[in-house]
Amino acid sequence: MDAGFWILQFLNATQFSMLLFLLSIGLTVIFGLLHFVNLAHGALYMLGAYIGISAAAWTGSFWAALVLAPIAVTLIGAVLYFTLIDRLRSAGPMNQVLVTFGLIFVFIDLVRIGWGDVALGLNAPQVLSGATDLGIVSYPTYRLFLIGLGAMVMAILWIVLSKTQIGAMIRASVENEAMAKALGINVGELFFAVFCVGCALAGLAGVAAAPVLSATTGMGISILIPTLIVVVIGGLGSLEGAIVGSFIVGFIETFSAAILPGLAAILTYVLLAAVLVLRPRGLLPARA
Amino acid sequence: MLELKGVVSGYGETRVLHGTDFVVAAGSVHALLGRNGVGKSTTLKTIIGHLPLQDGSIAFQGSSIDRSPQVNARRGIAYVPETRDIFGSLSVQENLELAGRLAGVNPEWTIARVIDFFPNLKDRLSNGGQELSGGEQQMLAIGRALMTDPKVLVLDEPTEGLAPIIIQQIFAKLKELKSGGMTVLLVEQNLSFALGLADDVSLMSRGQIAWRGTATDLRNDDVAHEKYLGV
Ligand SMILES: Nc1ncnc2c1ncn2[C@@H]1O[C@H](COP(=O)(O)OP(=O)(O)OP(=O)(O)O)[C@@H](O)[C@H]1O
Ligand SMILES: [Mg+2]
Repeated sequence: MDAGFWILQFLNATQFSMLLFLLSIGLTVIFGLLHFVNLAHGALYMLGAYIGISAAAWTGSFWAALVLAPIAVTLIGAVLYFTLIDRLRSAGPMNQVLVTFGLIFVFIDLVRIGWGDVALGLNAPQVLSGATDLGIVSYPTYRLFLIGLGAMVMAILWIVLSKTQIGAMIRASVENEAMAKALGINVGELFFAVFCVGCALAGLAGVAAAPVLSATTGMGISILIPTLIVVVIGGLGSLEGAIVGSFIVGFIETFSAAILPGLAAILTYVLLAAVLVLRPRGLLPARA
Repeated sequence: MLELKGVVSGYGETRVLHGTDFVVAAGSVHALLGRNGVGKSTTLKTIIGHLPLQDGSIAFQGSSIDRSPQVNARRGIAYVPETRDIFGSLSVQENLELAGRLAGVNPEWTIARVIDFFPNLKDRLSNGGQELSGGEQQMLAIGRALMTDPKVLVLDEPTEGLAPIIIQQIFAKLKELKSGGMTVLLVEQNLSFALGLADDVSLMSRGQIAWRGTATDLRNDDVAHEKYLGV
């Protein structure tokens, strides 16, 4: 295990963390703002991948797919919002979990009907194919792009949330919805907008992951577990929590798979249990 | 300015208000007083729209209040809750700016004017809301309400838990607002504070108004004191 090995693991972990971040940020904000448990978030990720693959085939452009898939997934999310989510907001977490868990299978079957049950790949664009020489190691260029994409989304969200008035409105509404309303903030509209951004990021994660992981009908469920763990560890509704949680889970899963394969499957759960016992609200919850 | 008629409200199945009536005249300070748990805060929450009006009516400037608090806020009802509800994750400046969005193009209240009004907030602008003392929180809560350029200020126990010196400062500031013509609906346990500010008083008992009159009337009415305020 030389330096190159560690650097590779570090890059793999960072890339996985970014993917987890793109998914968990949507999920955690929807949790935090709407008090809604949307397990279908993983299915939106899967849809992003499949739609992206088709969009790339139709347009012949990966970049077009990278834009179109999130838009399509947002539209699907908006339909879900008005047909189900808005109505289920006061139905309690158990009903939300049951309905949105059911939705996962509806979407999986729709994908089977539309695309078939085979793993589909997506080619990275020419400029991002191949590997980049980083001195000690050489690393797939596309994966570096994924790291950059995640970092860019993180930076944009951070600036919007912490520096703009919209961000202040979101933070205020997450912290105290009733008082935000009493100050004239249209919390309903704001939450819908944030929900849409969350869906768009799930779609973006899906299409962006497709060249690396290829699209399968199981991808939405398999990513859902670590994403939920990120949300719980990080603390509901908080950007910082999603960032920190993503890196913790991404690094633990990647490094344990590389050096302690026997423990890999349980380490994150041990961490989850520890956080739940010591800090049940997560490491950086939105509501102090 | 604000007229309640036969207001029935409460929490789910639990009814707290059983036909509350009173009128807050424009430009006046109206004190709503009564023992713990009689329904004063519930009344305020119903006025601003946090609790649904189950029966009766509430009119603000001649037309019925809206079901949604954000519409009422836009129409000029500003609320300072008992718990102050400062946004702890926002800076003092952000707390004020957020409220300022409601004001029109030439707002009467700007951050500069609020700081001028409550100088204690001046050095706190970049502090987080959760770093403030109780007195500073109260000042910010009132300042935040003012930033919306309200037509009526609804205050729930502004002196609760504050040191006498801070209470005096807040008293002076509310006096200043009153002489500027602000309409205020004030719920308060501190009787001398309330009577020092109020023009009219409604005494509440078990979800209804049991006594009404001017502040002077109440000062001279020992029976009402005894019966509804327990002093
Ligand atoms: N969230 C709630 N759910 C159910 N009942 C409540 C709730 N809040 C208050 N109550 C009940 O409603 C009644 C009136 O409460 P309210 O807060 O309006 O009283 P108050 O006059 O403001 O009293 P205080 O002087 O203590 O603030 C009380 O019996 C209280 O227990
Ligand atoms: Mg009260």
